[in-house]
Amino acid sequence: METFELKVAEQQGTLAVMEVAGYINNEGGEAIAREARKLLDAGQRTLLLDLKATRIINSIGISLLLEVLERTIEVQGALAFCCLTPSIAKTFQIMGLSQYTRIFPDRTSALAELSPTQ
Amino acid sequence: MAKPVRVRLVLPRVARAELLASRAVEEAGQRIAFPRDTLAEVKLAVVEACLNALEYGAGDVEVEVVAHPNDARAWIEVAVVDHGPGFDPSGVVRPVLEDKLRSKRKRGWGLELIRRLMDEVEITSKPGLTKIRMIRRRGGE
Repeated sequence: METFELKVAEQQGTLAVMEVAGYINNEGGEAIAREARKLLDAGQRTLLLDLKATRIINSIGISLLLEVLERTIEVQGALAFCCLTPSIAKTFQIMGLSQYTRIFPDRTSALAELSPTQ
Repeated sequence: MAKPVRVRLVLPRVARAELLASRAVEEAGQRIAFPRDTLAEVKLAVVEACLNALEYGAGDVEVEVVAHPNDARAWIEVAVVDHGPGFDPSGVVRPVLEDKLRSKRKRGWGLELIRRLMDEVEITSKPGLTKIRMIRRRGGE
C-alpha cells in the first residue's frame, strides 16, 4: 500500500484523472507535480486526483500538491480530489484546501460534476 | 487493568524512516483497539514529527509510543526526540494557504498539522535536545 504508483487513468476533453497509490512524500509529490505539468502543458485544464489507494501523505508531499494547485490556477484550470481517507480529508480541511480545490467522495460524483460533456 | 503497550525505536537515517514510527503507532493502537480513523490521524502527526526531527535534528531520532488501554478513554502518547540545534516553537509562523500559494516556499505545515491532529502537544527544545510529546485520546477532536 505504501509503494507509490501513479497513472493517468482517463482523459475526457480537458479533464484528466490521475490515480495515485501509496505514500505521497517528496518523491510521490514530485511525480504527481511532473505528470500534472505535462498534462497542463498538453492543454488539460482540470486535474482530478483519485486518492483511493493512498493512506498517508506528508507535508512535503502536500507542498508539492500546492505547486500543482498554483499551476492550475495560473492556467485558469481546476484541481480536484476524490476518494480521500478521513485523515487525509481532515488534513486538507486543516490547510483550507477546499477553498481552492473541489473535493468529491468518489470518482463517479467527481466525473459527473467535472466532465466537460456534462 | 491491562498494561500500556509501549514501543521504543531509534529511526535509521534512511528514506521513509518516518514510516517505521507510523507502523509502531499502528501496531500499538491496534492492540488497544483504538479507532482506526483516529489512529490514522495520529500516524500523520507522528510522521510529521519524525520528518522534522530527521531533517532538522542531528544524531539519533528516538521515538516512544505508549498506548494506554483505559476503557472508554484509551489514549496514545508519542514522544519524538532529536539531538539537533533546537528551535523556538513560538517563532514558527502558522501557515496560511493563501500566502503559501503566492510564495516560493510552500512547506512549513508540519507543526500546524501536528497541533491540529493531536489533542495535546508539548514541545521542549534547547541545543542538543528537542522533544515533541503528543497525546491523542479516544473520542478526542
